[in-house]
This record gives sequence, C-alpha cells and structure tokens, in this order.
Amino acid sequence: MLNHWMFRCKDISYLISQSMDEKLPLRIRLGIKIHLSMCDLCLRYKNQLGIIREAILKIHDEKENDFFITPLPDQTREKIKNLLKNH
Amino acid sequence: MYTFALYRISDEFLAQDLVQETLAAALKSKKNFKGKSSEKTWLTGILRHKIIDSIRKQYREPIFQDNQLDSRVNDEIFDGNGKWITGPAKWASNPELLLEQKSFLNILKKCFHNLPKRPSRALALRELEGESTQTICKVLNISSTNCWVILHRARALMRECIEANWLAKKD
Repeated sequence: MLNHWMFRCKDISYLISQSMDEKLPLRIRLGIKIHLSMCDLCLRYKNQLGIIREAILKIHDEKENDFFITPLPDQTREKIKNLLKNH
Repeated sequence: MYTFALYRISDEFLAQDLVQETLAAALKSKKNFKGKSSEKTWLTGILRHKIIDSIRKQYREPIFQDNQLDSRVNDEIFDGNGKWITGPAKWASNPELLLEQKSFLNILKKCFHNLPKRPSRALALRELEGESTQTICKVLNISSTNCWVILHRARALMRECIEANWLAKKD
C-alpha cells in the first residue's frame, strides 16, 4: 500500500511541472506532498521552477524597460517607414 | 512590438516579418479601429493572432524530432532507480532576492532564447500568453501527454541552463 503512494524523484520532477499547468487528482497531489516532505532536492527543484515562472513574468511585465528591449534592425525599420509612407 | 514578437517566437526574421504584416493589416483595417482600446492594445492584439497563426503553421507536421533531448533530460540527472544523481544545486540563500538581480534575469532571458524550438514555443504560450495546455496542444499539433512532456522538458532545460550560467558567474 505504501508503495502505491511513493513516487520516484524522476516522476516527481515531471509531476511538479504538470502541477503548474493542471489541477492533478487528489491522490497524486498527496503523493507529491508526502515526497516533498521527505526530499530536499525535489523541494528545491520545485522552488526553482517557481522562481523561473515568476522571473519570466517579471521580465514580461518589465518589457517597457530598456534593459529588455531588442531594437528592430535598421533595414526593417526603413521597410516599415516606406510601408507607412505609401498609405 | 518587435520585442513582444521575439519573446514568443525567438526567430528574428520571422518576428520582423510579423511586425510588418501586423502594421500592414492594421493599415488595411484601420476603419475597424473604434478607439475603444488604445492603439497599442489593438496592434498587440493583431500581432498576437499573427504569432499564434505562424506557430500553428510551423507545426502542421506532427513529427517529433527532439527525442534525444528527452532522454538527455532524464538519463543524465537520474540514476536507474529514478533518484537524483547530483540534484539541483542551491542558487541563493534568499531566492526572493534573485528576482531583483538583473544579471540573474539576463541569464534567464538568454536561456529562454536558447531553448529548442518546440519547448520554447510551448513555454512562451503557457507562461507569457497564459494559454491552457489544451490550447497549446492544438497550436503545436500534439497530444496532451506530449504537451506536458514538452513543458516539463522546457522547464528542466531552463533550470539546467540557468544553474550552469548562474553558478559559473558567481564563482
């Protein structure tokens, strides 16, 4: 019975990602919880994926910020100017 | 608009084309613009549709080419019993502070752009557009299981890349 509840780290790393996209069945959520309460490495993995998600959103929100802007190449800029002129 | 497109498809030429197409489409249909939203929102909306369309076109063919990546993600980090071989390294004593560090965000940005195409598209649709896995499967033309596998792989690769670059930088 206990085995039924036990996931391997390899499974947990997949389930952690899946849980960020879907609501998983209760049994699986509990299985993850139990594993995380005993496994520091998987817990760290989970936290790091959380940081990555937050950081992507942060970059996304700050895209007005110069730091993250990629300028449009001059050639394309010219093409667009011409396109606008012809209207 | 260019940065917006580039984040979602990480292909410079395609991104430039899409920006041009968007402006052309906007000019054509400017009568439809009622001024209910800002011009920026309107243009971004058109661009977003163009991006999703272009991703959809790219993935009409349901061939799975990056299988090697899958085994790389799993075989090199877990042993035969599915246990971590070395496991994820500690990044910082206070993870919250990482989000304030430009050098960390810069590494993350680079890693995001270096992802293989399919994982990168899937992650962009999921995290930037907030799309459900159902929609992502449709756009990328894959089964839902493949979708979870791809997102899992994208995150694992991101994590690995950030770890390698971030810890190298700190030393």
